[in-house]
Amino acid sequence: MELTENVLEIRELVKEFPSVKAVNNVSFDIKRNTVHCLVGENGAGKSTLIKILTGAEHRTSGRILLNGQEYYARSTKEAKQKGISTLFQELNVVNQLTVEENLTLGMEDTAFGFLRKTDKIAKMVDVMKSIEPSIDPKQLVGSLSVAKKQIVEIAKAVATDADIIIMDEPTAAISESEIQRLFSIIKGLREKQVTVLYISHRLDEIFQLGDYVTVMRDGGHIGTKPIAEIKDRSELVKMMIGKTVFEQYKPNENACEDVLLQVRDLSNQKLNDISFDVHAGEIVGFYGLVGAGKTELARAIYGVDDYEGEILFKGKRLAPSPDKAIDAGLALVPEERRTQGLFTILTIRANIPAMNMQAISRNGFIDAARERKITKEYIDKLRIATNSGEKETSKLSGGNQQKVVISKCLFAEADLLMLDEPTRGIDVGAKSEIYAIIRGLAREGKAIIIFSSELPEIVNICDTIYLLYDGNLKATMRNGCDLDSEKILNMVTGGK
Amino acid sequence: MIMEPNSKRPSTFISRMSNDSFISLFMVGVLVVIFGLACLIVPNFLTAKNIINILTNNWYIIILGIGVTFLLITGNFDMSVGGVIALSGVLSVYFVQGVNVSPNELANGLGMPYVIGLVAAMACATCIGAINAFFIAKLKVPSIIITLGTMMLARGIAQIVTHGAQRNSSLPDEFGILGNTFVPGTSVKISVLIMVVLVLGAFAYEKLTVPGRRIFLIGANPVAARLSGVKVGRQLAALFIISSLLASVTGVLLASEYMAGLSNRGTGYEFDALVVTLLGGVSIGGGFGSVVGMFVGAIILSVVTTAATGLLLSPHWQFILKAVVTFIAILAQRYALDRRRG
Amino acid sequence: MKQVSIREREEMSNALRANVKKVYIYVFLVLIVAVFSVVKLGQVEFFGRGHFLNPDSVINMFRISVPILTLSGAFTLLMISGYIDLSVGSAMSLSAVIYALMIRSGLGMPLSVALAIVLGMGMGGVNGFLVMKLRITPVIATLVTLNLFKGIALLIVPFGVSAIKSAPGAPMPAWINFYGRREVLLGLPWSFYVALFLIVLLVIVQRKTILGKYAAAIGGNRNAAELSGISAVKYVWILYIILGVFAAIAGVARASFMSLGDPLSGDGMETDCIIVVLLGGTAFSGGEGSVAKTVVGVLIIMCVTTGLMTVIPAYWQTFAKSGVLLIAVTLNYLLVRTRNQA
Repeated sequence: MELTENVLEIRELVKEFPSVKAVNNVSFDIKRNTVHCLVGENGAGKSTLIKILTGAEHRTSGRILLNGQEYYARSTKEAKQKGISTLFQELNVVNQLTVEENLTLGMEDTAFGFLRKTDKIAKMVDVMKSIEPSIDPKQLVGSLSVAKKQIVEIAKAVATDADIIIMDEPTAAISESEIQRLFSIIKGLREKQVTVLYISHRLDEIFQLGDYVTVMRDGGHIGTKPIAEIKDRSELVKMMIGKTVFEQYKPNENACEDVLLQVRDLSNQKLNDISFDVHAGEIVGFYGLVGAGKTELARAIYGVDDYEGEILFKGKRLAPSPDKAIDAGLALVPEERRTQGLFTILTIRANIPAMNMQAISRNGFIDAARERKITKEYIDKLRIATNSGEKETSKLSGGNQQKVVISKCLFAEADLLMLDEPTRGIDVGAKSEIYAIIRGLAREGKAIIIFSSELPEIVNICDTIYLLYDGNLKATMRNGCDLDSEKILNMVTGGK
Repeated sequence: MIMEPNSKRPSTFISRMSNDSFISLFMVGVLVVIFGLACLIVPNFLTAKNIINILTNNWYIIILGIGVTFLLITGNFDMSVGGVIALSGVLSVYFVQGVNVSPNELANGLGMPYVIGLVAAMACATCIGAINAFFIAKLKVPSIIITLGTMMLARGIAQIVTHGAQRNSSLPDEFGILGNTFVPGTSVKISVLIMVVLVLGAFAYEKLTVPGRRIFLIGANPVAARLSGVKVGRQLAALFIISSLLASVTGVLLASEYMAGLSNRGTGYEFDALVVTLLGGVSIGGGFGSVVGMFVGAIILSVVTTAATGLLLSPHWQFILKAVVTFIAILAQRYALDRRRG
Repeated sequence: MKQVSIREREEMSNALRANVKKVYIYVFLVLIVAVFSVVKLGQVEFFGRGHFLNPDSVINMFRISVPILTLSGAFTLLMISGYIDLSVGSAMSLSAVIYALMIRSGLGMPLSVALAIVLGMGMGGVNGFLVMKLRITPVIATLVTLNLFKGIALLIVPFGVSAIKSAPGAPMPAWINFYGRREVLLGLPWSFYVALFLIVLLVIVQRKTILGKYAAAIGGNRNAAELSGISAVKYVWILYIILGVFAAIAGVARASFMSLGDPLSGDGMETDCIIVVLLGGTAFSGGEGSVAKTVVGVLIIMCVTTGLMTVIPAYWQTFAKSGVLLIAVTLNYLLVRTRNQA
């Protein structure tokens, strides 16, 4: 069988969700035995495209040709069998087995159930050694670093004759020297008849590693070019940003000098010496892309994760646990509303007071009338689309679910409200409503911290913007002065 | 990117009910059906005496079921309750037995005044709950494993105190009052009354109080509960202590009824409590369920076992019956809930 | 950068724990033997009567360890895959009852053993079906089968009799105990050597066959295993069936030893299995564990129980075992569990 020039051809691919077109008529080719990079801001459609390739999502319409043949995958396993392997963030290795055992997992030669030592094992170990000779095949995978575990997964994919290996932000958890090693391995894969589809927002990596780059924006395909033809970073950044129209930012008149939160030299496994202040009435935004450390920062402040460093709230040390943080006056709207923010099988009425049960109870007994009253209040105030507070929250739309979570945090009467990706996956109408709520809170003198990977969101409402990259605070800017979104995107993708 | 939920299904009375109420209603329906069947098959089933018997003979399992229900909603088991019953019963006897009254070691105790002895026995037995709480809430050991261990611990101590048998002599006269007195004018013992009070109290706790609400928050989504400020560890600890406390009360009542502290009392009660809880539609770590459901489940079990006795089946049938009935209950509830969700 | 140094510290503490984990149970075993060997030196001679290392008592210890030795290896394999079976005790009892019945009915040993094994496959098959196909929580599913098997065993034994044994008109052949009691080598019966053989077999299975590897893969990272094309349903079901067969073999040994089939003879075996598996360093969550180390766990618990018998009365046994369990759980927490954050 003659091999086609393009290992993968995508034709007019569309993926529609009820409220948004995540992939909008995308067409491009991936040439065989190249390193093909995929870039785009959050919400550009990269993840959905990858999910369709790996079988985790069904396309709405369009064609995909793998090696010239029609390609459909209904599961990651099927995708793997057909030749598309993926390196996920959650490593798919068994820590308790050795490298050799992981490489041969599912493909062992056996005689009456006994594992046989055949050439197959030796061949796979050879593949592994040719990629990374320093890994001992008899070592337990659990004792390897994250970088080496990734390499084991790559070796397995190569040894199982994958045509394409998809890597999604693989450098998020590994050190600089390991990154260089990974790059030389990836470049070497081309000689092993493997094509790599590399997704990353770290533009330096794209230039180091890639042969081609595809830029996506707002679900659409902007362009696919050989890296050699791209002059510099800013050309790529311009393609990624396009013409984003920002609403007029209105500075908050109420921001005062009172420092509510002081963070000094906050460090843990993901964060590096973060320091900043938040004032009453101020809306602060942390902008960064995947792996920048936004959620880790929120969780550290809230007391969920360990950290080193100092956090002072209203002048006092903040105790490292969520219940004490809430008592002190903080509240967090978590990143994943369904799994972290809501009690999905409970009703709206049971969800809203959950953070501040004392306020609807007397001597430990719940005041049902008051509970119903405040439920109605918040349904009205936040315009939650439901005809009853008795509805199970699992039956609400994403936007309304988020409003319930926000209501829950508002009811806690916090002085500092943190929101992690507050409008992810929410329709435009609900988005503006949530922004209006946030602005209202700031006017009342509350402090807000927003963690987001959507630049328009940050620029629209935040007074102070902090840029995060790889766990480091890269820059601070005050909104209102002309913001250079190109410069911003540059910094959150690793530039200076 | 979120899929908009399908909001086009007609909203009927059934679908607007909470899951709790639906399951409880479903199990009441099951109870009616089984009761009806029993009346048809078993001779002399439909008598007042029999019905009262059905409603009251399970009282000790129901008390245990309260603790098991609360814990199961959060996804935890308490297999130690049977051992705690033995321990508190044995200690209650040991503490109030007369000092140096007889050459038989098992007839001599610590000679405490009656009330203090009872309270002390319950306090000691409740410590088992504290041990459970420590291992489960602090060390995050799976509850099934640790409670099997503390069951052995409780029963082990009971065996030491009774030398493997029982203590039943040198007891003050008051000892038998609690377990053997009837509610005036009826044939129902005070223990049953205590059970009713506790169930009502548990129902109030579950529906009306803040700590009760927290049980459901933890069961529905432990992560969200923690992020919403619920002190999950502390709440779970409290539930394990409550479960042991309830078991120790039951142990004292039973020891009083039989005027003896047996080291093997309560064997198998933990499974019975689990059976009635599951029969009552309490979800396993799902965040819904109710002690009312558990009570209905206990009545169902009582109907089944009484019918079995009425049909002159040997008492050994109860094990198979309980296994089958639990199995059917789990499947039926899963089926009913799935159908309801569409 | 600070992140790197924090990560490095975490890695070092993990490495330390891994090293301690490798040796602690051997240290533990040696300590226990040493303690019991010297504890009564004032009263008895080394190796003399009543001493822990007295040859007769050591042989007796190995003789009574036959059931747990037979069961614990297969139990370990199942736990490595991340699943549990609480019905092993009742499965053993049921097998003992049926075996005794068949022998008494004149079926002869080979056929009776074969039928017992088929029974074991059936019991394990039922467990596997409930857990893997119907996806019922393993704890609940095997509690149900625990009661089911127990109930069947109790019903087979005629009412009024305690076990299947010699009855008027149906004597139990005396040779039934050739397998489980008659001394063959070093004072130990066939059943002991069969148990040893089976352990060796299981060690080989764990280390050298695909079943052993897949059990670890499924327990360690089920997702990764299934992605590699391994069917968790198929392999865990096989493990449940194997455990059922081993429970049946243990039942045969017990019936042969006692010359009767006692429907309650296996009570509590599941807790014993949990204790020795925990002592042997198998994690609750699966992925790692070792049949060989579980054997060390069996040695430890046998030494503790027999050793304690030389020092304290028999009714302290349950308490002592529970203490060992709690210590095993704590050690397991400190050394084996991987620390995960909420």
